Amino acid sequence: MSLISVRNVHKHYHLDRADAPALIDVSLDIQPGERVCLMGPSGSGKSTLLNLIGCVDTPTSGSLVIDGEDTSRLGDAKLSEFRNRRMGFIFQSFNLIPVLSVFENVEYPLLLQKVPARQRRARVDELLRKVGLAEYRNRSPENLSGGQRQRVAIARALVARPRLVIADEPTASLDHATGGSIMQLMMEMNQSEGATLVFSTHDAAVSRYAGRIVKMLDGRIVENGSAA
Amino acid sequence: MKTIVMAWRNLLRQKRRTLITLSALVVGLCGVVIFQGYITSLMTGFRDTTIRSGIGHLQIASSAAYFQDGEFNPYSYALKDCQALLSDLQGRPGVQAAFPSTGFTAIAGIGEKSATLLVKAYPAERMFFMPRTGRALPPSDRFQLGTLISGTSPAAGDRDRLVLGETAARILGVKPGSVVTLMAVLPGGGLNGRDFTVSAVYRSPGRDKIFAFTDYDTAVDFTGIQGAAVLHVLASSVPAVEGIAARVPAGLAIRTWHDLATYFVQVNTMFNGFLGVIRAIILLVTLFIMANTMNRIVRERMSEWGTLRAMGTRKGGILLLVVLEGFFQGIVGAALGILVGFGLSELINLGGGLPFVNAGQRVIVRLAPSIQSVWWNLVPAGLFAAAASFLPGLRAVKLTPAQALRQI
Repeated sequence: MSLISVRNVHKHYHLDRADAPALIDVSLDIQPGERVCLMGPSGSGKSTLLNLIGCVDTPTSGSLVIDGEDTSRLGDAKLSEFRNRRMGFIFQSFNLIPVLSVFENVEYPLLLQKVPARQRRARVDELLRKVGLAEYRNRSPENLSGGQRQRVAIARALVARPRLVIADEPTASLDHATGGSIMQLMMEMNQSEGATLVFSTHDAAVSRYAGRIVKMLDGRIVENGSAA
Repeated sequence: MKTIVMAWRNLLRQKRRTLITLSALVVGLCGVVIFQGYITSLMTGFRDTTIRSGIGHLQIASSAAYFQDGEFNPYSYALKDCQALLSDLQGRPGVQAAFPSTGFTAIAGIGEKSATLLVKAYPAERMFFMPRTGRALPPSDRFQLGTLISGTSPAAGDRDRLVLGETAARILGVKPGSVVTLMAVLPGGGLNGRDFTVSAVYRSPGRDKIFAFTDYDTAVDFTGIQGAAVLHVLASSVPAVEGIAARVPAGLAIRTWHDLATYFVQVNTMFNGFLGVIRAIILLVTLFIMANTMNRIVRERMSEWGTLRAMGTRKGGILLLVVLEGFFQGIVGAALGILVGFGLSELINLGGGLPFVNAGQRVIVRLAPSIQSVWWNLVPAGLFAAAASFLPGLRAVKLTPAQALRQI
C-alpha cells in the first residue's frame, strides 16, 4: 500500500480574477521509505505538489491519501495534528523560530504532542548529536551558519519520528559543499529514522541523492522514474 | 507554556519598535497617574474641608425629615436624651468628637441697619476659624468654619457672643466689640430679643452674608429649645464612619458625610469623569497604536506563522501567540508608565508639589497617586492591547500555511 497516493489532482490559483493552473491532473504514488525528488524549473509546480503532499495546502480537485488518511476529510485541527505527528518539514530558508534556542526549536513538535519533558530532552539531545550540533543546543539560531541552521531544521523535522519528511529545495540557500553535506546527512537520517523523504530541487547534483526522480513541467508530471 | 515564553521573547525581538510602541503608553499612563495623584490629593483636601466645614463625618437626628428642612426649622427636631447619646458616642472606637448643634433664624439689628442671619450654634470648643496669616491646620476634633478676619472666636464659657460673616458685618457696619441685637422667633411662636457682642468676623465666600455662629449653650438659653437638633460626629478617619454609623441606636436618622456633602460628591464625580475620559482616550490611542504595530508584526512574520502551522500548531495557538504578545506589550507599557508616573510624582512632591488656586488662595498640592490606580490602569491597558491584537491575530491565521510560507 502506498504511503502517498495522489489522484488526478488539480490546483488552481486565483490571481487578479484570472485562474492560474499550478497543477494539472497530477497522479503519483510514493511507497514507504522511498526517497523521491521532484525536479523542474521554477513554476513547474513542484513546490505546489510538495505543499499538497505536506497538507499545508488543499487541492482544487482530485484526491490525496496519505498514510491511509483521506486528507480532504480532515478539518483544520485534525490536519494540524496530522502534520505534527506524521510529517516533518525542511525549508529552503531553514525557517527556524528566532526566539527559540536550537534545543527549543527541535523540541517544538514534541511540545505540541505533549511528550513528557524527560523523553523530550532525551530525543532532542539524540537528534542534536546525530546532526553534530550537541554543543550548540543553547545557542540562538541567529548565531549559526546556514549549514548549521539547516542541520537544526533536519533535527526538528525528524524529532517526532514522522512517516514523511518534506523538503522544499533544502540546499538552495547553501553553497555547493554545504549543500552536499546536508543532503548526505538527510540520506543518513532517512535511513536511520526510516522516514519517507520527498524533496524538490532544480539542482541535478542534489537529485542524485534520490531513489526516484519525478520531473515536472508546467504543472504536469512529465517523467517519473528511478534516479539511475 | 511555550506560547507564553515565545510571546514574551518576541517583545524583545525588535527593541526599537517595541520601545516606540511602549513610549506612547508610558507617556499617556504616566500623565494619568500624575493627574490622578493631583485630583486625589485635591479631592481628599476638599473632602476633609467639606466634612469640617459644619457637616461632620456623621450626623444623627431624631427623624429623616430633619435632613430636608431641619436647618431652617430646627425646633421641630429636638433630640431627646441627647446627652446620654453623646456620652455613648464619645466612648466608641473611631470617634474623635461628638457634639450637638442647633440653630435659629434671626434678624440682627444695630441702629438703622439690619440683616437676616442663620445662626449656627456649636459648643465653643468645637469651632475653629483659620488665622488669616499662616496656614495652621485645624484640630481634628473641631469644625473649621472660615477664615478669621478680626477678633477672636468665643471660648468655652463665653456667653452671648457672635461670630459674624464679613459681608454681614459690612452690611451692619460692625466690628469685633460691637453689640448687635438679635430678634428670633421661639419654638412656642413668641419673639425673643437679646444683645450679642460681636467677638469675631470671619470670611467664607458664599456663606459669610447669611451664616453667623454662636456657642451652643447661648443658643439653647436664647431659644429655650430642649435638646439638640442634630448631633455631629467627627471620626478619626473616613473608613471608620461606617462602623460608627452601624452602632447608632435604632430609631434615629443618620446621614454620613457622603450623603450630606452633595457639592463635594458632584465635583468628585466630575473630576473622576474627566479622569475616566482621559484614561479612555489614552487607551483608545493605545488600541490604535497597538493594532498598527501588531498588524506590521503579523505581516512581517507571516512565514513564521506558516512554519508553526506546518509543524502542527493550531490556528488558535497562533492567535493566542499574537494576542499574548500584544497583551504583554500593554502590560509592560502600562507598568512602565505607572512606575514613571509614581517616580515623577515623588520628584514633584520633593520639589514642593503643584500649585492650585481657589478663590484667590494659592495652595500647594502634594501628589498622591494611589496603588488602586495601578490596577485601574494596568489591567485595562493589558486588555485593550490584547483586544487590539485580536484582529491582526486573525489575519495571521486567515491564510493557509502554504500561503503564509510564501510570504517573505
